[in-house]
Amino acid sequence: MRLCSSTLPLPRLAFLFAGVATLTLALPIRADESKTKSKSTSSGRTTIALEEWRKGATTPLTPREIDDLIARELGASVKKAARTTDEQFIRRVTLDLTGRLPTVRQTQDFVASKESDKRARLIDQLLDSPEYARHWARYWRAVIAAKLADQRGQILARSFEVWMTEQLKENKSWDEIVKAMLTVEGEIRYDDTGAKGMAFFLGSHMGADSAVEQAAEASRVFMGIQIQCAQCHDHPSDVWKRQQFHEFASYFARVRQRLVRDKESNRFVGIELVSLRFGEHRMPDKDNPRAGTMVSPRFLDGTSTRRGLSDSERRKELATRLTDKSNPWFSAAFVNRIWHELLGQGFYQPVDDLGPLKEAVMAPVIIRLAGSFRGTNHDIKALYRVILNTEAYQRQIRLGDSPSEHLQFAASYPTRLRADALWESLVGVLGPLGGRPGFGGGRPGGFGGGRFGFGGGLEQLFKQAFAYDPSSRPEDIEGSVPQALMLMNNPLIQQRIEARGDTTLARLLRDTPKDAEALEILYLRTLARKPTERERQKCLTYIQKASSRSEAFEDILWALLNSTEFQTRR
Amino acid sequence: MTVQTLMHVRTGREGVLSRRTFLRTIAAGSAGLGLLGWKDTMTLHAEELRKKGMACILMFMRGGPSQFETFDPKPDTRNGGPTKAIETAVSGIRIAEHWPNVAKAMKEIALIRSMTSREGEHQRATFQMHTGYVPTGGIKFPSIGAIVASEIAPKDFDLPHFVNIGGRFNVIGSGFLGMQYAPFVVSNPSQMPLNVELPRSVGTARFSKRVGLLKDLEADFAESGAEHQVKEHQALYTSASRMVLSPRLEAFDIGKEKASVRERYGRTSFGQGCLLARRLVEAGVTFIEIESNGWDTHQDNFNRTKTLSEGVDPGFGALVTDLKERGMLDRTLVVWVGEFGRTPRINGNTGRDHYPRVFNVALAGGGIKGGQVLGASTADGTSVKERPVTVADLFCTFCHAMKINPRKENLSPEGRPLKLVDGGSPVKELF
Repeated sequence: MRLCSSTLPLPRLAFLFAGVATLTLALPIRADESKTKSKSTSSGRTTIALEEWRKGATTPLTPREIDDLIARELGASVKKAARTTDEQFIRRVTLDLTGRLPTVRQTQDFVASKESDKRARLIDQLLDSPEYARHWARYWRAVIAAKLADQRGQILARSFEVWMTEQLKENKSWDEIVKAMLTVEGEIRYDDTGAKGMAFFLGSHMGADSAVEQAAEASRVFMGIQIQCAQCHDHPSDVWKRQQFHEFASYFARVRQRLVRDKESNRFVGIELVSLRFGEHRMPDKDNPRAGTMVSPRFLDGTSTRRGLSDSERRKELATRLTDKSNPWFSAAFVNRIWHELLGQGFYQPVDDLGPLKEAVMAPVIIRLAGSFRGTNHDIKALYRVILNTEAYQRQIRLGDSPSEHLQFAASYPTRLRADALWESLVGVLGPLGGRPGFGGGRPGGFGGGRFGFGGGLEQLFKQAFAYDPSSRPEDIEGSVPQALMLMNNPLIQQRIEARGDTTLARLLRDTPKDAEALEILYLRTLARKPTERERQKCLTYIQKASSRSEAFEDILWALLNSTEFQTRR
Repeated sequence: MTVQTLMHVRTGREGVLSRRTFLRTIAAGSAGLGLLGWKDTMTLHAEELRKKGMACILMFMRGGPSQFETFDPKPDTRNGGPTKAIETAVSGIRIAEHWPNVAKAMKEIALIRSMTSREGEHQRATFQMHTGYVPTGGIKFPSIGAIVASEIAPKDFDLPHFVNIGGRFNVIGSGFLGMQYAPFVVSNPSQMPLNVELPRSVGTARFSKRVGLLKDLEADFAESGAEHQVKEHQALYTSASRMVLSPRLEAFDIGKEKASVRERYGRTSFGQGCLLARRLVEAGVTFIEIESNGWDTHQDNFNRTKTLSEGVDPGFGALVTDLKERGMLDRTLVVWVGEFGRTPRINGNTGRDHYPRVFNVALAGGGIKGGQVLGASTADGTSVKERPVTVADLFCTFCHAMKINPRKENLSPEGRPLKLVDGGSPVKELF
C-alpha cells in the first residue's frame, strides 16, 4: 500500500527551496539538531527545531503566563476581542467539556452569580463531571476512526469509547493511555464492554499492510508526524527519509490481526492480536516492489533497538521511546490538538502535522505549553484547566473591525459542533429522540445500528450524517444537504418540535402565557442565551402575524434548531 | 507582528490554503500557473470543462461477482462448474445462463474478460473499484461518481449531482472533493428518500415562511463574528430547500411509472433501482450508482449466483434497452462491475473465494461499441490470456467516455496534487 502518491505540492515549492540546505545536510534529525534552527518565514509562522522544543520550560504554568506570551506575540497593534459574556462562556465551556448545552437553569444561575471566581469554579466542576470523560472519549474515538482504511475496524470503536471514558475519568496520564494502546495483546471481542478497548487503535488495522498503517497512525495521532509520505519516497516537504519510515514500521512487524470465529455459531466474534515469533518488516525496493530489504526497528530520533526483539518487547520499547519526555512531539501533538479543540485554531494546522519543517504560529506559546505538559507528567486535566482559565480561551469570537485576528488567538474562532455534541444538544432541547427499537439497535456488535455503536435509530442516522474527521482544518469541514434535510424535515424531530401533547414546547407554552417570556426561555434552551432586542422584536412580530400561537412558536423553534448558531461552538 | 502580516496570513488561509478555493482543478504541470494566477486558471478551466448532458450509471456488485457465473462462463470444464452458457443477440458471444435479458441487449454491451488487479479484500477492492486508487490512511480519494460530477455536472441544478441507490455500509463518497459532490443515498428506491418530503403539518407555504424566518434570525449571530459561517450555512440551506421544493423531486418517485414499466425492470430492489436511475438521468442527475449486495459466494455459489443474477439481470437488460429506445444511451455510460472475481477452483463448500487476478466487467453506452468482447481469460480461467486491463485502464476508459482528462490534477487538502486517474490508459478498442 502506498500512503502517499504525492509529488511536490505547488504552493510549498518556494518554501521547500528555502529549506533545501536543511534537507540535504540533515539526514535524520539526530544528525542535524544543531543546524535545524527555528526559522522565521515571511508569513509570521516559524518552524520549531528539536532543541527549541527541548528548551521549553517544564515548570508549572499559569493562565496569566500564557496570556502574556500571546500578548507579546500579538504586539501592540492587534486589538484583542472582548471577554465573552457569561452566557457565551457557559455555553462554550459546557459544550467543550461535556458535549452538552447548559440547561436554562444553569445558565440563569451562572449569569446571576456574583462570585468573582465563578468561571474557574465552573471549569473545575465540569472537569469533574462524568460527561467530560465521555465527551472526550468520543473525541478520541472519532480521531482514530476517521482514518481507518478498513471499515471493519469500526466495530471495536464502542468498546474503545467505554475504555477511554474510564481512563479520562481517572485522569490517567496521556503517556499511560498511549502506552496501553500500543502494547495491548490478546483478543478483543466485538461485544467487549470496555476491558480491552485500548485494542481499537492497533486492532482496527487489518491485512497485509497493517504494520505500515499502524506506524503511520501512531506517528500521526501521537506525535503529529506525517511520516507516511516517506513510505515510497523521501518526504518531499519534510526531513523524513524512506528508510526511517520503514524502520519505524518495523516496530509493528510482528503483530497481526486475526478474526476470531466462534466455533458454535460459526460467526466472527472478535479480533485477536497475534504475536509472530519471527519475521522482520521488509522495505520494498523502489523500482522493483517484489524485491526488498529487511529493516529493523529504529525510532525517529535515530536510536536503534536491539535486534531480534519479540513482538511484545518491541512494542513496549516503542511505547517507551514515543512517550518519553525526550521526544518533544509527543507532548506537542497533544497540546496542539487540545488547544485547537478549545480555541478553534491550532498552532499547527492541520492539528496532526507538526514535522520539523512545518510552520507554527506563536511558537513560544506552544513550546511553553508542551514543556509544562511534560513537567506535569502529561496531566490531562491540568492542561485543560490552564487553557480554559486563560483570557485567550475566554475571548469572544471576534474583535469588530477585522476578523483576521481569529488565527492569532486575539479572538476565538467559531467551529462546527461534532456530531456527538450536536446530537446531545438536540436531545437537550427536544427531550429523548428514541427511534424505533430494533431498528439497527439489535445485537451488540452485530451488523445494523449497533455496529458503529451509535445506538441505532435516528441517533445512528444523525451521527452518521453529521460525522466529520476532527483532525481536519475547521475551514475544510462542510455541511451537507442530508444534514440540512434531517434537521428541516425529519418526521421524528418534527414531531418533537410541535407544541402538541407533552412535548417540551407544549409544556413551555402551557406554563408560560406571556410570549416574550416564553421566547426568552426558548432562546435560553436552544442557544443558551436571551434573544437580542432585534431578535425579540422579529419574533414577537412573527407571533402576532401568525394564525396561531403554537404554530408561531413551532416555527421559531424550528428556525433556532436549524440556525448556524445552534450548530456552532461560538 | 503587524496587522499586515495578519492580513497576509488570512489571505493565505482562506484564499490559497483552504480547500474550497484550492480545490479547483489545475492542469497537470501547468507552467503558466504563476503567470496566470490562481483565479484566472480556475475560471478558464471550469468553463471549458462543463460537458453538458453526459451521465453515468454504475451498477456495483458488492462482495465480488463470479466471472464464471456472469459474463465469462466456462461450461463443461472442471473450473466452470455446472453453470451453462446461453447465446446472446450477438452471435459468438455467450454468457452465463441466468442473464437472458442482458443476452438480449448484447448488441449494446461490451464485455471485458481480462480485468486484473491485486486487491482481494472487500474493503480495499471496493475502495479501489470506486476511486481508482488503493486505500491509503491519509488521503480521502473521491469516488468516480464525485469525480465525474465535479467535472461535468451542470452548475445550476436543484437535485444532487451524484445519487447512490441501495448503499448500506461503506458508501464511497466524495472524499476531498467536498460535500457538494457527495453521494445522496437512497436506501429504498421504491420510497421517496429520507427527509426530502415536508412533514405533513408543514405545507410549502409554511416551509417557505420558516426558511424566511431562519434567514431573518441569523443576522445578529452573523454580525457577532460568524459572518462566514452563516453565509455557508445559508448557501447549504438554499440548496436543501431548493431540492425540497423542486418539481424535479418527482423523479425520485418511481410510483409515477406504469406498472408494465416497473415489471419490465424486475420487481427487485435492484431492478427498481435501475428504473429510478433512468428517471434521475432524465431529470439531469449526472452520476448514479446502484448497488447489489450478496455476491460474496464462498458457500453455495451456484444456487446463490442464480438468485442474485435473477435479481440484477432484468434491471440491467431493461435499463440498457430503455435508454436506447429513449435515445439516451449515447449520452449515458452504463457500467456493471464488482470488487474482484472469484476463484476458478470450487471450494469444499461449493463456493468460490476471492480472485482479483482475472475478472470481468460490462459496459454500454457513452460511445462504447456494443456487441464485442475485449480480452480473454485462459481456458481454465486462472489468468488473463490476452489484453490485460487494469483498474487504472478501466478508470481511464470511464474518463474517455465522459470526455474527461484523466491526467487532470486535483489538490487534496494536504496540498498534494493528485491525478484523477494515476497511470493506465483508456481501452480505445471499446469505442
